[in-house]
Amino acid sequence: MIELTSVKKSFAKQEVLKDVSLRVNDGEVVVILGPSGSGKTTLLRCINFLERADSGLMNFGGNEIDLRKTKKKEILYVRRHSAFVFQNYGLFAHKTAIQNVMEGLTQVQKKSKADATKIAEDALSWVGLLDKKDYYPSQLSGGQQQRVGIARAIALKPDVILFDEPTSALDPELVGETLEVIKKVAKSGITMVVVTHEMSFAEEVADRVIFMDGGVVVEEGKPDEIFYRPKEERTRQFLSRIMPVDSYVI
Amino acid sequence: MSFNVSSFLESLISAFKYAPVTLELTAITFVVSLILGTFIATIRHYRVPVLSQFFAIFVTIYMGLPMMVALILYNLIFMTFYNDFAEAFHISVQISDINPIFIGFFALILGTSCSISESVRGAFRGIDKTQYEAGYSIGLTKFQTLRRIIFPQMVPILLPGMQNSLIGLLKASNLVSAISVIEIMTGALLPALLYYSYLEGYVAAALVYWIIGACIELLAAIAEKNSGKYLKRTVG
Repeated sequence: MIELTSVKKSFAKQEVLKDVSLRVNDGEVVVILGPSGSGKTTLLRCINFLERADSGLMNFGGNEIDLRKTKKKEILYVRRHSAFVFQNYGLFAHKTAIQNVMEGLTQVQKKSKADATKIAEDALSWVGLLDKKDYYPSQLSGGQQQRVGIARAIALKPDVILFDEPTSALDPELVGETLEVIKKVAKSGITMVVVTHEMSFAEEVADRVIFMDGGVVVEEGKPDEIFYRPKEERTRQFLSRIMPVDSYVI
Repeated sequence: MSFNVSSFLESLISAFKYAPVTLELTAITFVVSLILGTFIATIRHYRVPVLSQFFAIFVTIYMGLPMMVALILYNLIFMTFYNDFAEAFHISVQISDINPIFIGFFALILGTSCSISESVRGAFRGIDKTQYEAGYSIGLTKFQTLRRIIFPQMVPILLPGMQNSLIGLLKASNLVSAISVIEIMTGALLPALLYYSYLEGYVAAALVYWIIGACIELLAAIAEKNSGKYLKRTVG
């Protein structure tokens, strides 16, 4: 379980997160929606400290963490119990697909090379890329790179996987294969927090949808509540801009 | 007056005899400077308080000092203050028994470390921020990320610059002749002092430098070919 309380974050004088609270239960798939600049990516990055929040509390799997003065040990704990899937894949450029997946297993989880290889091969075959295991990221398509990124995340058996707009950098025809893999992850029961613009995907996999705008959580609820019966005017406006007219009801 | 082949050969043999001095100066200086330069660049890249400001100022000032001036300056400081220093610390070694090559090492290492640190800083800037974040996200520590993710990716970026530094260092190493260390150039000129065969002496020195330089370039080309295979490096 992850629980964020009153998270605040500013860049220079720009307040990006204004008192955001959020709870993600074990096994839950939470999708965060919102216009660009709403703070959704920053919020996600604050969870595993790629961005440092200015203040707030986080309960990560029972560990109470003060975001204002987080200890190195706490940061490492959270990072070692979570995984992150990047918008621009974030694969280690000098490592092959399988080395990318093995890195955390051997260096962080201190698994033997044989064990790590086995786990990495399983993860790669799970995302359908075992045949590409010795390819470098530069030799893979965007969709394939992102699937390796997902394999790297699931191989670590984290408590939660954080997805930061995982399909935004992809060519349209590669979005589908990547979303299929993410759906597969969702169905496997891993806790997930996903920032995305893929509405139909959100509707299909999300247990709960959170709509953010201007650094605050505007509304949250089950996907059909948010998409078809939004309570807030801002949610309605946002949806009307990005969803085809006939697919939602005001 | 003509080109005297036997003087030339004599100079060549003498130059080769002293080549180990040049190689030692070049190789040791390079390795130590690479380590120091990487250390300085890393401190500055991570903006370590106090140290990074100190190195920034030091490098900026020191880069403006010509190697020759530095070399002679350190030598003069050494000559002027050694006796007082030796007396104060009860060192019984005579100044004439000390090989001036260590002053050469000192000057060359300081200068080369500064210039290499700038190359390494450039290489740091060539690595995308996501590479760090990806390392942190899988639970690597800062140091593990640096050692296993960032440094290896800096190697192919650094190679051309390091080849440059190494050859520059090979050529700069003959400046130590100014503080009476005998290396390739002064070695090649030893016979010339007897026979006035300066042309032959300098040609011999040039040839030896050129051979070593060519070897470095060859090694660098092989290294470059074998590193960074993962990069899409060819254009078009």
